[in-house]
Amino acid sequence: MDVVFNRVGKRYGQRDALMDLTFEMPSGEMAFLTGHSGAGKSTLLRLLLLLERVSSGQIIVGGQSLAKIKASGIPKYRRDFGIVFQDHQLLSDRSVYHNVALPLEIAGFTKRDVDRRVRAALDKVGLLDRERAEPDTLSGGEQQRVGIARAVVARPKILIADEPTGNLDPQLSAEIMGLFAAFNSVGVTVIVASHDLALISRMPHRILTLDQGSLLTVGSERGLN
Amino acid sequence: MATVPSGSSVGAGPRSVIATWLYHHRQAALTSCEKLFAESVASFLTIMVIGIALALPNLGFSLATTLQDQIAKLNAPPQLSILMEPQITFNETAQLRERLMRRPGIAQVELIDRDDALADFTASAGLEALLERLGTNPLPHSLWVYPKANVRDAGLDQLRIDLSALPGVSNVILDSRWLTRLNSFSELMKTTAVVLFFVMAAGVVLTLGNTLRLAIEARREEIIVIKLIGGGDAFARRPFLYTGLLTGCLGGLMAGLLSFAAAMVLKSPINRLLELYDQPEVMLSLAISDLLVLIGIGSTLGLMSAWYSVQLHLARIKPR
Repeated sequence: MDVVFNRVGKRYGQRDALMDLTFEMPSGEMAFLTGHSGAGKSTLLRLLLLLERVSSGQIIVGGQSLAKIKASGIPKYRRDFGIVFQDHQLLSDRSVYHNVALPLEIAGFTKRDVDRRVRAALDKVGLLDRERAEPDTLSGGEQQRVGIARAVVARPKILIADEPTGNLDPQLSAEIMGLFAAFNSVGVTVIVASHDLALISRMPHRILTLDQGSLLTVGSERGLN
Repeated sequence: MATVPSGSSVGAGPRSVIATWLYHHRQAALTSCEKLFAESVASFLTIMVIGIALALPNLGFSLATTLQDQIAKLNAPPQLSILMEPQITFNETAQLRERLMRRPGIAQVELIDRDDALADFTASAGLEALLERLGTNPLPHSLWVYPKANVRDAGLDQLRIDLSALPGVSNVILDSRWLTRLNSFSELMKTTAVVLFFVMAAGVVLTLGNTLRLAIEARREEIIVIKLIGGGDAFARRPFLYTGLLTGCLGGLMAGLLSFAAAMVLKSPINRLLELYDQPEVMLSLAISDLLVLIGIGSTLGLMSAWYSVQLHLARIKPR
């Protein structure tokens, strides 16, 4: 699904978190979102996930204007997304398997399908042998990979990651980014918010740089071809 | 996401809307059951609170009902006893009887000869010796008046007053007085039980509501994650509603067991009381229908508490 931001603004009281933001992401693109903390990365993702509504302008996802989605339609809209959190947000009271299965259970897949898909997703992130483990017994990198498995298990159209490598060492970070690139290569639109410039500038994807709520550069599409 | 074509290696996609809905309900019910058993001590205490809160009014109500049933059985038609002045003769009393028989509202009048009355009294009280000691019969002639069945309460009182005013009548005793008192006492007991029920029900809703508030708080991160990955409010709400329903249901069952136990304990004192009124023994027992009503009330209260708690607290948990 493609994502279009058209002159989007978001105000919190007197402060502009985002101003006049315009960019387009064609379906199947992978892009990085970067900028200092407070530059508006999180706000942008929150608007995209309809955790907040825009103050001005409009966001169009897959041809649909988000302004037209009512509160009751938000859960369904979010099922098009896979979300990877910085602190992975795994539920500690259930096994790796059941954490990954959660989006499928919400979407109503049969047990057999849940089983297949969970195993496939865990296999992709290299954790098939840990499906019975409790999340707390895993290392940071493994936990993040479980989070990624959960984000992709329902085959989302758009994958969003908010600082997914924030707590990981460079080598693990590179592995995680490699996973995202792999999902992108099968047609999933991927947006990764990260301030790890050293890492993302090595990758052949567009970088959107935010500064104080405005888009500084749309580009650096070097290597896209 | 139903993006995977059927026949694909990862499965055929989600179920239909209704099948999904049923599946979610089954899952929520199962999860609630598991959690209830996993925290068995806390769950038991909550169930106990509901059980006691429902058993108390239930017990009061069924005691009052039993009492009223017994009173209804006692209702041999109410009877008035007319005691004549001592100097009134048997013939005069017989004439009064004839007159009373013609009065509207009176079904039957029986004349009790003073000598018969004394003989009966001494015989039944085992005081034959007294009869010999007494030179004269201290009892007057008397009439037992059986009013017609449609003469009740105020009508009976009026009849008593009318009969008292007749010449030669010393005193009129309305025998059903104590019955009326007992009846209004059991009526009071019933009303008290109903009031108690509403107070207790409010207590149950608040207690269970608060328990569920804590449960919601404890699962805050789970709710946030569920909302973020596309679970609707209904999905997040369902396990708590089931927990409320289940706890309430078990609370109702507990109320039934407690009522049954209390009835067992109260059985002999109640039957002793009934014996004093020449009543046959009653079995205070818990009918299946009563148990079902208790379970129904418990479940309803449980679901209400959960709904109230969820409406109040779940909406406040928003993903950040």
